[in-house]
Amino acid sequence: MIDYGLDLHGEMLLEEYCDKQPLFEELQRVVMEKLGALVRQSGIEVNSMESRIKAEGSLAGKLRLKGHKYASLLDITDIFGARIITFYNEDVDRIASMAEVLFEIDWDNSVDKRRMHQFDSFGYNSLHYICRLPEEQYYDPEKPELNKIRFELQMRTALQHVWSAIQHDIGYKSEIETPLEYHRNLSRLAGMLELADNEFSRIRNAIADYRRRAQSLVQSGQLEEVPLDLDTFRSYLDKRPFDRLNRKIAAITQAELHEAPWWPYLKVLRIIGMNTLGDVERLMRDNFDDAYQLALFQLGSTDIDILAETVGLQNLCIVHLLKTGGGRLSLVQFFDTINGKMPQNETLAEMVIEQASRLEFMNVKR
Amino acid sequence: MIFEINEQDGGYVATVSGRLDTPAAVKAQQEIAPLLENADKQITLDCKDLEYISSSGLRLFLTIRKEASSKGGKVIIEHINDEIKKVFMMTGFFNLFDIR
Repeated sequence: MIDYGLDLHGEMLLEEYCDKQPLFEELQRVVMEKLGALVRQSGIEVNSMESRIKAEGSLAGKLRLKGHKYASLLDITDIFGARIITFYNEDVDRIASMAEVLFEIDWDNSVDKRRMHQFDSFGYNSLHYICRLPEEQYYDPEKPELNKIRFELQMRTALQHVWSAIQHDIGYKSEIETPLEYHRNLSRLAGMLELADNEFSRIRNAIADYRRRAQSLVQSGQLEEVPLDLDTFRSYLDKRPFDRLNRKIAAITQAELHEAPWWPYLKVLRIIGMNTLGDVERLMRDNFDDAYQLALFQLGSTDIDILAETVGLQNLCIVHLLKTGGGRLSLVQFFDTINGKMPQNETLAEMVIEQASRLEFMNVKR
Repeated sequence: MIFEINEQDGGYVATVSGRLDTPAAVKAQQEIAPLLENADKQITLDCKDLEYISSSGLRLFLTIRKEASSKGGKVIIEHINDEIKKVFMMTGFFNLFDIR
């Protein structure tokens, strides 16, 4: 064993630590599996989950400084430590509440450093729980000591982690060891990151509110007030607005409808000036019959009995472009948007113009 | 044989020829088995000699695409004639494939 300059008591604790390595490794495996399952089940997006078993040298350093405080190895609560880094403050609280269900928390030794600061100071924020793995969660009759080991679970946001990591990197300990000027600068940064954390949470909540409001407007049919964007388009598609046109087109050849990606059409709709879902409804109302006529012309003489579920919307866009005088260039742009830029899109545009030129909507004077 | 399959540059190239109508598509279901088994790689369907495609042929292409999509592979369709392009466009399937 390396000579760390420990007293006899310290050496005994270090020897016990070496003997119990496999036990700590098993605890690490079990705890990380339990935490991983819990986080997955909750649906919380975490930045990272990490864990470590204290290195021998690091423990020796701790024992050298304050080994006398520990009667046995079980009194040292951070030999195994796990850390969960979230994106938002609220998720730290959610994970903490789940950890309370999963583990036995030693409240006397757990610290919420987020609440330790005076109203006029800023600094390291993190929630530290000292935990035990209860027998009802995991029990190995050959290793009953596993349930007696306390370990540390740290929960913090990504910004709190950044601050803490940088603070550690530059070797800052306390205002006693560091000139006050640097202490103040770090505190200023901590305050700024705390504000940023709160702002990220506020933005997330505002977006969630916006989505709920838009969804409710879509559900109640107040489409004029709903701007067209990814979220609202998704809610709108849930109402299957193109089904009636698709079914009518599919009936031409008794075709089945095959799923296809809708998202390229969101871009098309924005390009052709659809700003709200009300505009999309009008696009359908004004072009429904002509979109069907185009499909009838294209498919009527074929026996094609499989179509993409976007076929109705494709024809609505084509008809709208042609009726509003868009011509070949706008059709090429349309195909560029849904297929990606390729020379073949010019051929497709020409085919569509040739087909549509025989239809009534292209020959009526408006 | 409608699908003649060759391994090439770590992927597979299938030369599709003739008329891919319903009877041919039924027969070709067995022929595309190696493509489905290797759908985690790049599959190129060279259609320069493909004259016609029916709904059953489209379904075969869609089956290959679905398998590739679930296995992380990629399907490229090359050299299709204008009539077949028209079929892909009219059915709304054009943007499901990488058509070159």
